Amino acid sequence: MTKTISFILNGDEISCDIQDHWTLLHLLREELGLIGTKEGCGNGECGACTVIVDQLAINSCLFLAADVQGKQIQTIEGLAVHTGSLHPIQQSFVDNGGIQCGFCTPGMIMSAKALLDKNARADKEAIKHALAGNICRCTGYVQILDSVEAAGRQMAGNQGKGAAAAKDPGTITQQSMNKKAGEVIT
Amino acid sequence: MSGYNIVGQRVPKLDAAQKAMGRAEYIQDVKLPGMLYGKILYSKYAHAKITAMDISRALALPGVHAVLTGKDIPPKMRMGFYKDNPPLKADKVCCFRDEVAAVAAVSEQVAKKAVSLIEVEYEVLPAVFDPEAAMEKDATLVHEAHKTNVLKLPWKLHYGDVEAAEKDSAFVVEDRFTTTWVTHCCLSTSGAVALFDASDNLTVYSNTQIPSLAQKDFLETLGAMGLKGKRVRVIKPVIGGGFGSKLDTYAYEHIAILLAHKCRKPVKILFDRKEEFEATSTRQPTVIYIRQGCDKEGHLTFRDIRMVLDNGGRTSWGATTPSVMMMPITSLYRVPNVRYNAKCVYTNNTYSQAMRGYGNPQATFAIESCMDMLAQKAGIDPVAFRRINQNEPGDETPQGFKITSCGLAQCIDAVEKELTQGSPLEDGEGIGYASLIHVGGGARIYKSDGCGAILKMDDYGRVDIFTGGTDMGQGLDNMIAQIVAEELGLLAEDINVVHSDTDVCPWDVGAHASRSTFVAGNAALGAARRAKQTLLAFGAKLFEVAPEDLVMENRTVSVKNDPEKTMPVDKLLRKAHFSPGGTMLMADYFYDPPNENMGKDFRCNLSVTYSFGVHGVRVHVDKETGKVLVKNYVAAHDVGRAINPMLLEGQVYGGVIMGLGYALSEEVMIKDGQIKNPNFRDYKLFTAKDAVPIMAPVIETHDPDGPFGAKGIGEPGCVPTAPAVANAIYNAVGVRIKDLPITPEKVLAAIQEQSKGS
Amino acid sequence: MKPFTLLTPATVEEAVAMFGQHKETARYMAGGTDVIVKVKEGWMGPDYLINLKQIPGLDELHKNENTGELTIGSLVTHAMLEQSLLIRNEYPIIYDAVSNIGSLQVRNMGTIGGNLINAVPSADGAIPLIALDGTALLAGPAGERSVPVKDLFVKPYETVLTPGEILRKITIPAQAKRTGSAYIKFGRRAAMELPLIGIGVLLVVDEDLVTCTRARICLGVAGPTPRRAQKAEDLLEGKPVTATLLTEAGTLAAEESQVRDSVRGQAWHRKEMIRVQVRRMGIKCLDIINQKAQQTGRQV
Repeated sequence: MTKTISFILNGDEISCDIQDHWTLLHLLREELGLIGTKEGCGNGECGACTVIVDQLAINSCLFLAADVQGKQIQTIEGLAVHTGSLHPIQQSFVDNGGIQCGFCTPGMIMSAKALLDKNARADKEAIKHALAGNICRCTGYVQILDSVEAAGRQMAGNQGKGAAAAKDPGTITQQSMNKKAGEVIT
Repeated sequence: MSGYNIVGQRVPKLDAAQKAMGRAEYIQDVKLPGMLYGKILYSKYAHAKITAMDISRALALPGVHAVLTGKDIPPKMRMGFYKDNPPLKADKVCCFRDEVAAVAAVSEQVAKKAVSLIEVEYEVLPAVFDPEAAMEKDATLVHEAHKTNVLKLPWKLHYGDVEAAEKDSAFVVEDRFTTTWVTHCCLSTSGAVALFDASDNLTVYSNTQIPSLAQKDFLETLGAMGLKGKRVRVIKPVIGGGFGSKLDTYAYEHIAILLAHKCRKPVKILFDRKEEFEATSTRQPTVIYIRQGCDKEGHLTFRDIRMVLDNGGRTSWGATTPSVMMMPITSLYRVPNVRYNAKCVYTNNTYSQAMRGYGNPQATFAIESCMDMLAQKAGIDPVAFRRINQNEPGDETPQGFKITSCGLAQCIDAVEKELTQGSPLEDGEGIGYASLIHVGGGARIYKSDGCGAILKMDDYGRVDIFTGGTDMGQGLDNMIAQIVAEELGLLAEDINVVHSDTDVCPWDVGAHASRSTFVAGNAALGAARRAKQTLLAFGAKLFEVAPEDLVMENRTVSVKNDPEKTMPVDKLLRKAHFSPGGTMLMADYFYDPPNENMGKDFRCNLSVTYSFGVHGVRVHVDKETGKVLVKNYVAAHDVGRAINPMLLEGQVYGGVIMGLGYALSEEVMIKDGQIKNPNFRDYKLFTAKDAVPIMAPVIETHDPDGPFGAKGIGEPGCVPTAPAVANAIYNAVGVRIKDLPITPEKVLAAIQEQSKGS
Repeated sequence: MKPFTLLTPATVEEAVAMFGQHKETARYMAGGTDVIVKVKEGWMGPDYLINLKQIPGLDELHKNENTGELTIGSLVTHAMLEQSLLIRNEYPIIYDAVSNIGSLQVRNMGTIGGNLINAVPSADGAIPLIALDGTALLAGPAGERSVPVKDLFVKPYETVLTPGEILRKITIPAQAKRTGSAYIKFGRRAAMELPLIGIGVLLVVDEDLVTCTRARICLGVAGPTPRRAQKAEDLLEGKPVTATLLTEAGTLAAEESQVRDSVRGQAWHRKEMIRVQVRRMGIKCLDIINQKAQQTGRQV
């Protein structure tokens, strides 16, 4: 079935016609021409298709396009439009050798962003935990982890001291991805 | 101080920003006007006759443009060097991945549906899955016309006198090792787009590692199709990982060509992940019988290895991996007497390909595990035992390899130093070592081992260099740019490296054998030197000095010791261009290394130089679960010179983790010819959470023939990993695992067996 | 992917009615991490997918401070559980289990309800809820009913849910004082694993901090459905818990399991892991209890 949805994509309000069975990945790549989000497996097992929906990293290959109605979507294309103004995470991947073949890179950066936006001071263990769903075959992860750690340091610096303190993430709910949070007590 | 400005710098990968922004275009992103989507139907059985095929329902499906079966394949069309593999099989199938039909349709969905509508009737044949069983006299024949399952390949050598040496040996050990199927798992799946122009000239977009040889294969395909004399252009999009997987041409590429010709439209075939697991080739599995001896002082006396290789149902490059296995077998450590005999045997399993290290990891697993066993028998410390036998500069090995630069000794020192620095070993912990030799200066496996480079400079001091080499993420773009920038006194960002199109790039044998930095680097350096010569000749006239008195540095040309006489290079280029009878700076160079093809006895100097390395690992073994945890890893490599230490470390880290997967977690599980784990859930790649601390000391031996002294480093990182881990496990808990991967089950079973014995 | 129509009910009742209308041509979808894969692979091909994500209230997660009862709505995601301080501090067995399901991306989408109803033998989410004596509240065409989580599973991929029934929420009764609980997923890798074997242990001890008054040993991949090892539990209850006794319990649990050989692991090794990990998890439970007791002691 076709329906019209509206959502915010990389800061811009957009409205488009979709089919019910389209995944968000299909919508981005095939309909909107945003090829930065990659498909590595189609089953949520490699992370190449990671995008951020209302602050949460998700596999766009398993997320229905219909479910982005009213939500905020960030893709790799939303981070920078010019090599001179790369997001600190992008710049850090460039500077620290975090990129080889580059196919995992957009998903990896989006996973890193979802983490660092919440907690720029995430330590290496927290970074590994957050990136465990993003498979990379080239780098052995060493320089990727270095890249994320270095980016976090810079983002924490940019935010000023204390600004990046971790919120209780328990307040994130399924419905808050959609509208106001329900009655959630943790 | 190296005395260099750009060489040795950690210049970020030239395309990194593009990739970080999601702007890089891979085969997935290639979309041409009017493009159709192809899909392949594979065999339902490991071994069967095709008795009937009905494509009528598929053809009738709206949106389907063409359906091809084995009957549509031109008779002479065969893939692989053994020519036993038509792109679509007409009469019988020899493994599950055999292609039996293909469709082209308006969308992937329609193509998928159409494939499901093709009806194939099979008569199932008895199958054989164990290569040693397949060698038996009355075994089922995989290819009846071949008369035997053993391939007619010459993998047999004997240097010195192994039998006499064994008699004189003080200590001898022997054992059997096995390695299994693992696969590349490039994050970008395989794919190709083929299209013909109005005159039947062909363009193929493919993420191939061998554009020039692929062009040759596709020309043969055109020949078989009756299109002799037509042109083939191969365009490489950005490649999302190679690791050897794209060193051959495959059915999907040839099928895309056939479909595109039939439909007169561009046809794209893109693998999904399951297909990538099931229909691309693996690392060659092996059964290895090794005997090795030494004298009382610990000098190796002989090495005797017999191997059986599961060739699978068809033949790709996996069957030629023994040619590279010969290298560690004859030349890792000083070993005077060597015998090697390998048989490749048809089975109804999947078939193998090149994969990072090309046989070297398999052979080194047996050799280096056996080195520790022999050291123990001789009562010598494993590190000391390796020092006694280490290769040295100036050695000529039994196979005729001429060792020039060799930092094996320094690598041993570096690893030992790093690994013994930590806290004392706890219960269940152990340390293991293993070394490697690999080709580091090309590998002459084809009529030419060369690579071309074409260089031009514009009016603004910028360089475009067209290389035959291929970047698939490993960083060849930077190697070329940094080498050329160094030579011409420019910055890396001034160099545009073009490596994507056979219409503009010169010939190269392919991105294999860790050869690109050395060979493509030397070709680029040659072109840069020629350009420099021309430019300096012009500058010399201008400044009225001899060309030798000029230097190019920091984007300027200056007269040595005369700071007044200097000119920005772009200005000089414009002067050259716009002077009467003007000239544009262009230069080319074809570098074919002075290495040798293997003779009938396999003796040769295969590579201009050889890379060496030593890996050491500290593990913890959970004695109750069998789980092995890597605590610390040190991988020291003699790289000649690091053109870019950051990218070099990336090659080592990536290689080590791939090697640790080979050692501990990865296996393509095949039962009765069928792959049981064609997904990332059950094919256990290391995740970020499994990543381990790795140190990568770089030993620079300044190779006399390498560009600025560099040798290859693409493959070595994953070569000695498995035996280092196996040796560490033995050191920790006293059990030796001889079959890869070393799973918790195997370790725990061995521990329990051991405690029963004691 | 085969096309389907996506229906978006606003209430559980509406969802049930939609199912009643379309019957077997419809499927419910929670987080979608499983259903979408199955539709893509062609393992199921519904004409209608009833999307439960938009139903308010299904993602409630709270503890009633008066009764001590914990409520987990079926649409609560694994990530919500993982990131809840309440879960981390008071229900470590849930935290252990959910924090290593799939990837963070999957945990941000996948729900505890979906994990249960999917009914795979390896369901990480089921083990802690069984150990905690959880009850599932089901809503269907015939109204609501409650089923203990341990009785939810019939065989692989099959639950006691009748056509049209929806899992609304899981409730966990108040935990006894001096409860410790822990779960381990044993696999080859540190992440992205389906367990070779999943072992959850919950112990309640007497005031002496050693005598076991209640034991729960729950196993995943040890049979066709997630299950309790009751002989092993019985062995522990009433006795002082020691490493030796836990090893005995582990051995019993291994014996009464129905582990099998599969591509993911061998039966004998799975049994060994049950034996070893029941002990290790049991000791972890005692550590948690002792730690809490010390903290309480200090506060007093």
